[in-house]
Amino acid sequence: MKKVIIHPERCVGCLQCMLACAVAHSASRNLVGALQEEPRPRPRIHVGVTPSGRGFPNRCRHCDPAPCMAACLPGAIFRDPTTATVLIDPDRCIACASCAMACPFGVLRFHPTFQAPPGKEVAVKCDNCDQRQAQGLPPACVEACLTRALTFEEPDQALKRQTDRISRLVLEAVPYAEDLPASLSLLRALKQATAEMNRR
Amino acid sequence: MSTTDKKFEQYTVTRDGQLMLAKAAREGVETVWDRFAAQQPACGFCETGLSCRNCVMGPCRIDPFGEGPQKGVCGADADIIVARNLGRMIAAGAASHSDHGRDLVKVLAQVAQGRAPGYTIKEPEKLRRVAAEYGLETEGKDDLTLAGELAQAMLEDYGSKQERITLLARAPQPRRQLWDRLGISPRGIDRETSEMMHRTHMGVDNDWVSILLHGLRNALSDGWGGSMIATEVSDILFGIPKPVSGSVNLGVLKQDQVNIIVHGHNPVVSETVTAACSLPEMLALAQEKGAKGINLVGVCCTGNELLMRHGIPMAGNHLTTELALVTGAVEMMIVDYQCIMPAISDVAACYHTKLISTSDKAKFPGMQHVEFHPHNAMDQAVELVRQAVENFTARDPDKVSIPVEPQPVLSGLSVEAMLEAMGGSAGPLLEAIKSGKVRGAVGIVGCNNPRIRQDYGHLGLTRRLIANDVLVLDTGCVSVATARGGLKTTQALEQAGPGLKEVCGALGIPPVLHVGSCVDNVRILVLVSALAQALDCDISDLPVAGSAPEWYSEKAVTIACYFVASGVFTHLGPLPPVAGSPNVVKLLTEGLNDVVGAAFAVEPDPEKAAQLLITHIERKRQALGLDARGV
Repeated sequence: MKKVIIHPERCVGCLQCMLACAVAHSASRNLVGALQEEPRPRPRIHVGVTPSGRGFPNRCRHCDPAPCMAACLPGAIFRDPTTATVLIDPDRCIACASCAMACPFGVLRFHPTFQAPPGKEVAVKCDNCDQRQAQGLPPACVEACLTRALTFEEPDQALKRQTDRISRLVLEAVPYAEDLPASLSLLRALKQATAEMNRR
Repeated sequence: MSTTDKKFEQYTVTRDGQLMLAKAAREGVETVWDRFAAQQPACGFCETGLSCRNCVMGPCRIDPFGEGPQKGVCGADADIIVARNLGRMIAAGAASHSDHGRDLVKVLAQVAQGRAPGYTIKEPEKLRRVAAEYGLETEGKDDLTLAGELAQAMLEDYGSKQERITLLARAPQPRRQLWDRLGISPRGIDRETSEMMHRTHMGVDNDWVSILLHGLRNALSDGWGGSMIATEVSDILFGIPKPVSGSVNLGVLKQDQVNIIVHGHNPVVSETVTAACSLPEMLALAQEKGAKGINLVGVCCTGNELLMRHGIPMAGNHLTTELALVTGAVEMMIVDYQCIMPAISDVAACYHTKLISTSDKAKFPGMQHVEFHPHNAMDQAVELVRQAVENFTARDPDKVSIPVEPQPVLSGLSVEAMLEAMGGSAGPLLEAIKSGKVRGAVGIVGCNNPRIRQDYGHLGLTRRLIANDVLVLDTGCVSVATARGGLKTTQALEQAGPGLKEVCGALGIPPVLHVGSCVDNVRILVLVSALAQALDCDISDLPVAGSAPEWYSEKAVTIACYFVASGVFTHLGPLPPVAGSPNVVKLLTEGLNDVVGAAFAVEPDPEKAAQLLITHIERKRQALGLDARGV
């Protein structure tokens, strides 16, 4: 089954995935409409930042067993039996944040959504865009990512690519960094140097 | 030391800044560094120059990894998009400084017509000298007539009638011939900016080399045009700077006086405020309100203009502008334009500070707008000073904290002042360079940028250069940094190498010379032209270089481009948004050497940058047949 796979070296920190995620989880499902909605839709993928300013798209791993699910006393968190996606029932959620404490990846957020009872803050996280997938569309974050830092594919396929890359590195000493285009290696080297200089 | 203090030390090397950052944090005031952190990570498409918003078939992005889109909707590739974006940055920078110049020409024109009561011709001799350069007959004409004619002639430079802008004639002949051969001699100041906007419209210039060459022409139209006019007319109207003592850092604010800060760039506003602050009725009003006087200080480049001409104290550079208000001791900040963060209003709202915008083209949320025009400037200035004085009683003493003691500074080193210090000619400097006592000179210019710890780049580079007998000339935010760091005093000669110490010591000048505001970078062009002409060579043959260790603005891009196009090797601290096109990077950092005899280098670390610049200077010395170290 296809999954969203993150390739951190390719993330350029443009935040397009966050924007697309918020739109995908709005009532209107388009950017202009989403910006006028109340409650304002929010992203469920979160781009973190390193000291040198690089981004990392962080999202729910849909763990199995899922620590959030085990921690959820009202039983609001459940796994969809067909897609294995971990979902939250906003009607059952009591916003106790037990899930957030249990989650090793810090992907839970708490806010009202258009699907939750009006005015109620609920736990919110990635739902693998189950509604889009039902229409044959990839998750919105993947669709928005022009640099392919997020892909939607069979994990075996992605892992094979990584295996080939490592083989090349070990047997032919082709360095990993060579995968980076000149443009980004220049930018990142300078940002890294600046960050180190500022820490002095 | 707490971790927050440690954090502030990473934001700025300035002690006054660190103390005010701590106060801002205690009082819940957001600063530029908070907003910078909130913006991370920066968008990699924008940072590499690979996003294009020039039309609405897009916006478009190029995937630097090569798997996603490699062309915009129109078909522009990475090279074209990066070049177009850089071209528009140059146009914006040229427009800014040159429009500032135009405002000064307008004042000159209205002085000539007797319609600018707050202004006079302070330097009739310079008026005549510049008028002669414009080919005007000066004999038998009174100053005002000549001022009117000069203003008209300068306005012609802004238009499209000329083959070449007038002050290009100041450049050494080989340089002018090179520009002609390359087809980059600027024809009109506004024309080149306008043409850049045209060329970068969808479907016009799609040869990235051609776009960049026009970028150089556009930058030259500012350096030898709009900016040069700005400096010359400022000198004519307000005086040629002469060596003057002043003081710098937030310690220049006074506990027992009305503090007024002028912020921005154009002396048209700040000069009249200066005059209004010394009016007896204003001083009497201040006494009445319980203040011991009126303390006018500057920040940013309008502060540089006042420091250069009057020794008026300087509170800080770009990243100090918010922190100056955090002292709680500022009755009024009067702004004109450029580099004024709109966030200033949010900071002022936490204190009693009144904010005043003065330009019809620069309005800000939360500011009272009091428009200055040549005909009413003096009246407006008096009214503002009155309001500032009246605001003294609104000051909350519990919120006031003025950190540190002021640092003395020697300023006012215009080209004219330097020549005078050397006995009327550049001879002594040339001799010092030839003998090797002074290895060469570097113009360090530009801004602050929260990407780099405030002043760290400026101070690190300057200290290393002077220790290696390289004379430093600085302008803009750099000049505040080095002054604040104590490098603009004769005591700083102790940090200079033996040759530089001897030469500057004999002339009674510091090893770091304050030549003005950022628009005054043209003074450096004039000086290097004089040196090249004296040595009968081109600017690109001289042992000189430029540097912008902490630049942030579009103006800085334009300045860097006119330095390079004039033949000055130029170092940049932060990388401009060009990494997305390795072709453009290669042209800017190598290829331009074969085109204009100079190129760019990017190096955030000031220690390494110093080495680059010193090596460059020594190579140029070698090529001139002078003694060269380590090449």
